[in-house]
Amino acid sequence: MGIISLEKSDHLFWLGRYAERVFTTLDTFFRYYDQMLDSDDRAYEKFCERLNIPMIYESREHFVETYLFSQNDPNSVYSNMLRAYDNAVVLRDELSTKTLSYIQLTLDCIEQASGSDAHAYALQPVPDYLYAFWGCLDDHVEDEECRNIIKTGRYLERMDLYMRLGYEYKAIEKEYKKFLNRLHKIGIGYNLSEVDKLAEVFALGEEWNTRYYEAINALWNIF
Amino acid sequence: MNELVNHMEEINRLMARYGVKFGIYKNGEFHEQLFPFDPLPRVITADEFDYLERGLAQRVDALNAFLADIYSDKKIVKDGVIPEDFIFSSKGYLPQCEGIVPPKKIYSHISGIDLVQGKDRNWYILEDNLRIPSGASYPMIARSLTRQASPAAFSTNHIVDNRNYADMLKAVMETVNTGGINVVLTPGRYNAAFFEHSYLAEQSDSILAMPQDLFVENNKLYYRRYDGKDEQVGAVYRRLSDEYLDPLCFLPESLIGVPGIMDVYRSGNVALVNAPGNGVADDKGIYYFVPHMVKYYLGEEAILHNAPTYLAFYEKDRKFILDHLERLVVKDVSEAGGYGVIFGSDLTKEKLNELAQIIRDEPRRFIAQEVIDFIDLDIVEGDEWVPRKADLRAFVLTGETTKVWPSGLTRFSRNPDSFVVNSSQGGGFKDTWVLSR
Repeated sequence: MGIISLEKSDHLFWLGRYAERVFTTLDTFFRYYDQMLDSDDRAYEKFCERLNIPMIYESREHFVETYLFSQNDPNSVYSNMLRAYDNAVVLRDELSTKTLSYIQLTLDCIEQASGSDAHAYALQPVPDYLYAFWGCLDDHVEDEECRNIIKTGRYLERMDLYMRLGYEYKAIEKEYKKFLNRLHKIGIGYNLSEVDKLAEVFALGEEWNTRYYEAINALWNIF
Repeated sequence: MNELVNHMEEINRLMARYGVKFGIYKNGEFHEQLFPFDPLPRVITADEFDYLERGLAQRVDALNAFLADIYSDKKIVKDGVIPEDFIFSSKGYLPQCEGIVPPKKIYSHISGIDLVQGKDRNWYILEDNLRIPSGASYPMIARSLTRQASPAAFSTNHIVDNRNYADMLKAVMETVNTGGINVVLTPGRYNAAFFEHSYLAEQSDSILAMPQDLFVENNKLYYRRYDGKDEQVGAVYRRLSDEYLDPLCFLPESLIGVPGIMDVYRSGNVALVNAPGNGVADDKGIYYFVPHMVKYYLGEEAILHNAPTYLAFYEKDRKFILDHLERLVVKDVSEAGGYGVIFGSDLTKEKLNELAQIIRDEPRRFIAQEVIDFIDLDIVEGDEWVPRKADLRAFVLTGETTKVWPSGLTRFSRNPDSFVVNSSQGGGFKDTWVLSR
């Protein structure tokens, strides 16, 4: 509709973050999961450490079931998807019923995948639905402000995860550029000095992670 | 029809995909539930709809005239047509609304009138809902899905397209808009009808507003934008109850209201759809008098009939009720949503005696009606078609003129022994086809 309240802007931003969190952490999860099968059955500890998730998991099996599907684990993929849904469901008039349906489908898919003996297969539709969500958003949401806010949330989350999960600098830099492109277009106030600090760190190129904590803190303090 | 039945599961799956749900509280916890859809439609012929349309528009025009009268001159009371006890003791009567003249003098913009069709083929009005009647969104979205499931049914059966409800709603809001944007005001996502609020906002090009998005300044209502460029609001389709609407005017403890909105409304600077205070006209006690209102205000005989109703308030009726309690349905006038409805035939002798005593003690609180033996509609259950009780909520919209939406919400009981069709009590819904010829 193009008339966004303060509260809706918040929901848009966090919808972008949570949808992206589900997408990226699930993708990364399966890379660690592969290692856990036969080379390092405690690889999940590294995964949790990188994401700063409390080590509440007792075994590989416990981690897989809990991290993917538990409603009681606030860090689980399912909990993050529930938060995406909570933010999305109040935005039907902005996003459209069609766009919203992909969030619903993602949530339903995760619920139904619990108990499957082939998690990767059962959860395969999740990234598909999330890609469809973003495509549908571009197609159906006319208001640019709305798209800018949600994508600012999306790219901020992706940068945060890529940095913490040890992605290559090139991948991080790509997301950084996308993030800046959206950041400058939103009408929400942000902390310019933190953006400058981030720019300074990324100017180091591959060496950016010598100032890893500074970069992470700057990102968190932009809003 | 077979195509619709064959695709029943798919239609319901698509409803789930589009979030067609209603909320319900169980043991203090909020749950979202799907609203089960049955593919066999209720069919209303063109002649039948013409009759219903005339009767419903007449009834709503009379009810609007009644509301205008009650909050001003109260001629109908002075002339002895309705006893004042039924006005001033009604929970729906709001003294705070005295003297307020809403934009275009419309009180009930969206009226949900519940009807049943008896086995004698006559239609009977069961109740009027003039506050925040719910349910139009379900048949709207169902129709778009059933048209895809069975294109042949729609190309051969001359069914009036019902997907214009949002346009009708928008036209009503534009008619009364005092200058500014249209918003649908929802109490929040944990409201039972939140899907409907958000869907109607989307479909009518309105803004879905939470109470905290709205504020009053200089006796005008504004929508708080994130960038500080606040927008004036001209019409509010409010989906929260009167008592929670404005803590400065009604319940001071309400956290979901908009402080000062009633002052803005009183000054004519915003339209509230529907007007606060309408509850006095859809009180189950007032229902008895609606045919009298039609005669009094319009000088016409009521086209549509009430179910035979007795008022415990009148001594003669009370005696009749107490003598025939075992065959009547007793309704507590202060309850809604299928609650407070007691079928005498379901009660033991001891319980009947208890109910009789309560009626003697609080006669104003109860009405009793003959149980209408209304026609069953088939629903699909497994591989079978089985008959179930069903009602029809017709939606009547009043803007420049009063129009009846050529569709409605047909709700059915899934329990073969029950007359209660409400979604909150496990009922489902059907599409309602109005034929164009």
